[in-house]
Amino acid sequence: MPLFLAEMLEVGVPTIDEWVVWAILAAPVVSWLLIIAYLRKLPAIAGYATILAVGVSTVLSFVVLFNVIDATGGPVVFSYEWFTAGSVVVNFGARVDGLTAVMLVVVSSVSFLVQIFSQGYMAGDKGYGRYYAHMSLFTASMLGLVLADNLLMLFVFWELVGLSSYLLIGFWFHKPSAAAAAKKAFIVTRIGDLGLLAALLLIWARGGTFQIDEIHQLAITGALSSTVITWFALGVFAGAAGKSAQFPLHVWLPDAMEGPTPVSALIHAATMVAAGVYLVGRFFPVFEASADAQTVVSWVGAITAVVAATIAIVQTDLKRVLAYSTISQLGYMMLALGLLGYVAAIFHLFTHAFFKALLFLGSGSVNHSTNTFDMRQMGGLYKLMPITFATFLIGSLSLAGIFPLAGFWSKDEILHDAWGHDRVLWAIALGVAFMTALYMFRAIFLTFFGEYKGGQPVDHHDEESHFHGDPAHPHESGWVMTIPLIILAVPAIGAGVFNMAGITDGLARLLTGALPVPDLHEVSFDWWVAGSSTVVAVSGIAIAWAIYYRRVVESSALRDAFYPLAVVFERKYFLDNLYEDFIARTVLQRWWNRLLELFDTYVVDGAVNGSATVTREVSARLRVVQNGQVQAYGLLLVAGVIIIVAAVFTANPL
Amino acid sequence: MELSIVLFLPAAAAVVALLLPQAQEHLARWVALAGAGASFVLSLVLFFRFDVNAEGYQFVERRTWVDIGEFNLQYFIGVDGLSMPLVVLTTFLTVASVLVSFNITFRPRLYFACLLVLATSVIGVFVALDFLLFFLMWELELFPMFLLIAIWGSGRKEYAATKFVLYTLFGSALLLVSILVLAFNAGTFDIEVLGQTDFQNTVIPLNLVFLLLMAGFAVKLPIVPFHTWLPDAHTNAPTAVSVMLAGVLLKMGGYGMIRMGVTMMPEQAANWDVWLAGLGVISVLYGAFVTLRQTDVKRLVAYSSVSHMGLVLLGIAALGDTGLTGATYQMVAHGLITGLLFVLIGLMYDRTHTREIANLGGLSRQMPLLATGLVFAGFGSLGLPAMAGFIAEVTVFLGAFDRFEWAVLLAIIGVVLSAGYVLWALQRVVFGPVKEEWNDLTDQRHWWEHSAVLGLAVLIVLLGVYPAILMDMINPAMEAVAARVVL
Repeated sequence: MPLFLAEMLEVGVPTIDEWVVWAILAAPVVSWLLIIAYLRKLPAIAGYATILAVGVSTVLSFVVLFNVIDATGGPVVFSYEWFTAGSVVVNFGARVDGLTAVMLVVVSSVSFLVQIFSQGYMAGDKGYGRYYAHMSLFTASMLGLVLADNLLMLFVFWELVGLSSYLLIGFWFHKPSAAAAAKKAFIVTRIGDLGLLAALLLIWARGGTFQIDEIHQLAITGALSSTVITWFALGVFAGAAGKSAQFPLHVWLPDAMEGPTPVSALIHAATMVAAGVYLVGRFFPVFEASADAQTVVSWVGAITAVVAATIAIVQTDLKRVLAYSTISQLGYMMLALGLLGYVAAIFHLFTHAFFKALLFLGSGSVNHSTNTFDMRQMGGLYKLMPITFATFLIGSLSLAGIFPLAGFWSKDEILHDAWGHDRVLWAIALGVAFMTALYMFRAIFLTFFGEYKGGQPVDHHDEESHFHGDPAHPHESGWVMTIPLIILAVPAIGAGVFNMAGITDGLARLLTGALPVPDLHEVSFDWWVAGSSTVVAVSGIAIAWAIYYRRVVESSALRDAFYPLAVVFERKYFLDNLYEDFIARTVLQRWWNRLLELFDTYVVDGAVNGSATVTREVSARLRVVQNGQVQAYGLLLVAGVIIIVAAVFTANPL
Repeated sequence: MELSIVLFLPAAAAVVALLLPQAQEHLARWVALAGAGASFVLSLVLFFRFDVNAEGYQFVERRTWVDIGEFNLQYFIGVDGLSMPLVVLTTFLTVASVLVSFNITFRPRLYFACLLVLATSVIGVFVALDFLLFFLMWELELFPMFLLIAIWGSGRKEYAATKFVLYTLFGSALLLVSILVLAFNAGTFDIEVLGQTDFQNTVIPLNLVFLLLMAGFAVKLPIVPFHTWLPDAHTNAPTAVSVMLAGVLLKMGGYGMIRMGVTMMPEQAANWDVWLAGLGVISVLYGAFVTLRQTDVKRLVAYSSVSHMGLVLLGIAALGDTGLTGATYQMVAHGLITGLLFVLIGLMYDRTHTREIANLGGLSRQMPLLATGLVFAGFGSLGLPAMAGFIAEVTVFLGAFDRFEWAVLLAIIGVVLSAGYVLWALQRVVFGPVKEEWNDLTDQRHWWEHSAVLGLAVLIVLLGVYPAILMDMINPAMEAVAARVVL
C-alpha cells in the first residue's frame, strides 16, 4: 500500500447538520404528497413539484458529499427508536458515510435530470400527474434505502422501491404486456427478497441487532459462527440478485422495458437495479468474512454477465439491448464484489449510472421521433438527430471501455482485480468486454447509420398514445430532452477522474472510509490489463462495423452459421418458458394448486358435508321410530325392559 | 361505566331502529350510524385514556348478575392491552359496515338491528371477564349473523348461513366443555383469576382440555382443516357482513387462544407448541396455494384470510412476547386490510354485478378511484412496508424465528405466494384492456362509500408508519402472558 494513502486514512467524523440529511429524504416525500393532494385539480404542478423537490435533494446531497470528503468518510448516524415489539427494538435512522454520500449524489442527480427529460417525453400523456407522483415516491424510497442505518429500515425502503417500480413498469396498464411485466418484476424480485428477509431474521436471532455497524462488528470480531455469517451473506445476496437482476432472477428486467423510457433510465438502469450492488457493498465486511459467499457472488456475477451479453447481441429492440447490457454490467459489478473489489464495483456502479442513463434517455429521444424501439425500422438517424447521436456515441464508447472515458477506468479496475485474483474470471470478464463493444456498436450502426426505414407509423385510433411527431420525418428532440443528454455526457466522459488508477484515488478513500476496517485495496495500473481490454473493445467495435456497416457478411448468414446457439440466445436461454409456462402455469397452477383445491373441496369440505349428510340420514331413519303411536312406544318399552332384565340376569346368574 | 356504554350503545341503537315506524324505516341507517359512531368515538376516547404502564385490566366494571350460590354469574368487563385494540377495531369496522350498507332498502330496520347486535356481541366477547358472559356473547353473535347471511345474502345463502352456524356451534361445544372443566376446577368463572390459576387434577386431563379449547377457537380463526365454512360464508354474505366477518369475527378465535389457551394453560401450550406452529404454517401455505386457484374475488380474499390467520397461530405458537405481540398486531392489521378489500369488492359488485375475475378487467379506466383503492389494499394484503400488514408479519416472523426456524423459513414463502395471488388478481381485474360494457359505470357516487374507504386506508398507513401507537399498548399485556409460559 502506498504510504501516503495510509496516512490519509485517519477516519474523521463528518460534521453534518442533521436537518440536511432528513431534508434529502423529506423533499420528494413532500412533493409526492402534494401531487396526490392536487392531482385532480392541478396535474400541471406535478412535474415542477417533483423537479423542485429532487433539485433540493440533489443540492443537499452534494452538501453531504463535500462534508464527508472533508472528514474522509467515517460514518455519522442519526438514529431513533421506531417501535418495540416484545423484545425486538427497531430503529429509524440515517447513516451517512462515503458510500452513502456517493449513492445519494448518484440517485438524486440522475433523478433530477430524468425528471427534466420527462417534461418533454411525457408531455401530453393522460397520466402525466400520476407519472410524477410515482417518480417522487420512487426517488424518496431510493434515497431512504441508501440512508437507512439498519437492515429492517433498509428492507422497508427496499420493498417501497419495488412498489414504485411496479407502478411505473405498469404505467400504461391498459397494455396487457405492461400489466404482466409489472407483476413479473414484483414477484421475481420478491423471490430474491425471501433471502433478504431470512437474513434479517437470522441476524436478529443470532446477533440481536439490525444496525449496520453492529452487523459489521459481528462479522469482523468473529462473534458469530462462520456458518451463520455465510448464510446471512447468501441471504443478503439473494435479495441483491433479485433487485439487481442476477441470473437466474434476471428475467424481469428486460420485460420491465414496458415502462416509459425515462423510468427505464432512472430505475432500471441507474439506481434501483444497482441497489443490489449497493447492498452487497453495504455489508462488505460480512462478505469479506465468508469465502464461500465470495465464490457464489463472483460466479453468479460472471454467469449473469455472459448470459446477458450473449442475449444482447441478438436483440432487435434498442431498449432491450440496453436492458440486457444493464444486466450484464450489474453482473460485472457483482463479479468484482465477489473478488473483494469493493471500490472497483462501486466505482463501476457510479460511472455506469451516468452513461447508462444517458443511453436510455438517448433511446427515448430516438423513440420520441420514430415512434419505435425496433432497430429494423430505424437507420440513418445521425444526420437527423445529431445531438442524440453524439451523446449516444459517447455513452456507448464509455460503456465499451474506450480510453479515456469514464467506463474505461471503472471497467479496467474490475479487470485488474480479476487478473490479480482469478484468471478464469478475468478471461470471462474480458470476453464480456468484447461482447459489450460488439452489441453496442451493432446497435449504433443499425440505429444511426444506413438508410432510414421509416419508423413506426402512428396509429391514430389508439387513444392511449401520446405520440405527436411524424415518424416518416424524424427530427431532433427539443431542448428539454437534449440538455439532460448533454449534461449526462459530461460524467460519461469524465467521471473517471475520481478514481484514475495510479493518478487519483478520491473515490477509493471516500468509499473505504465507510468500512469499519479501512482496507484500502491498491489502486494501481497495469499496462497488460488495460491494453488487453482496449484491444478486445476495439476489435468488438471493428467487427460490428464490418458486419453492420460495411456488410462484409450478411447477418442472416452469421445466424445460420451459429444456428442452434443463435436460437438459444434469441429465446433467452428458454428461461421464460421454464419459469412461466412450466413452473408457474403447469407445475404450480395446473398440478399442485389444483390438487390442493380438489383436496379442499372433496376431502376437507367433503368430510364436513359428509358428516352433515350422515347425521341427516341417521336422523331420518331414527325418525321412523318416533311415530307418535303410544302403543308402539309401550311395546318398545316392554321389549326394552325384558332385554335389560334378561341381560342383567345373564350377567349375574342367581 | 364508559365501557358498558361502548358495549351497549350499538344494541340500544338496534332497539331504536326496530321501533321505527314502517314509514320511517329509511331512517334506520342514520340511527345505526349514530349508535355505531358514538360507540366508536367513545372507544377511541378510552383508547387514548388507557394507561399503557398500568398492569392488569382497566375500565373494569363488576356486578353480580344472577346469584346462584357458589357460581355467581357476573357482569364483569374490562380491557387490557390485548382487548383494547380489538374493541376499537370492532367499533370502527362497525361504522364502516354501516356506511357501506347505506344503500340497503330491503327491510332496513331488521338489517341494521342485526348489524348492531352483532357489534355488541363481538365487543362483548372482547371485554367479558367472566367466562359465562364471554360464552353468552360468543353465542349471541350467531343469531344476527345467520339472519344477515340468510336474508340479505346472495347465491347459496341458506346453505352458507346454516354451515356457518353449525360449524361455529360445533366449536362452541368444544369450548363449553373446556370452560366448564376449568371453571369447576378453580371454583370460579372469573377470567382474571383463571388466568393466574395453576390447575391440578382436572376431570379431563389438561392436555386434552387445552386441545378442545384450541380446536374451538381454531374453527373461528379459522385454521386448516376447519376453514371451509369461511369461503362459503364470505361469498354469499352481503358486503357489510363480509367486512365484519373478516374484520373482527375471525379475531375472536385468535383472542380466545391468547386470553384462554395460552394464559390459562401455559404449560399445555408449551407441550403443544410445535404442533401449533406446524398447523400455523400449513394454514399459511395451504391457504395461499388454494387462493391462487380462486376465480371469484370474494372467495379469493376469503382463502387469503386463511393464509393470513395462519400467521396469527404461528405468532401465538412461539409463546414469546414478540410473537404474541405480532399475532395481535396481525389481527388488527388483517381486520383493517381485509375489511377494506371487502368494502371495495362490495362497491365493485354493486356496479358490475359480477365477482368472476374472468368477467372483469380494465376497471382502472372507468373507475380510477376504485382501482387505486384495490391496488392499495392489495399491496397492504401482500405485506408492503409502510402499511400495517408488514409490521405485523415481520413481528410474527421475528418472534417465531428464535424457536421454530424451519416453520418461519417455510412461512415466508407465503410472502411470495401472496404477491402472486394479489398481483395476478389486480392484473386481471383492474388492469388490461378497457371493457366497453363498464363505460357507464362511475366510482364517484356516494359520500359514505368514500369515507369508509378513506378511513380504513388512513388507519392502515398510520399503523404502518407509526406502529408504536399500538405496539406500546399491546407489548406490556403480551409480556405478562409470555411471563406465564415456562419453556
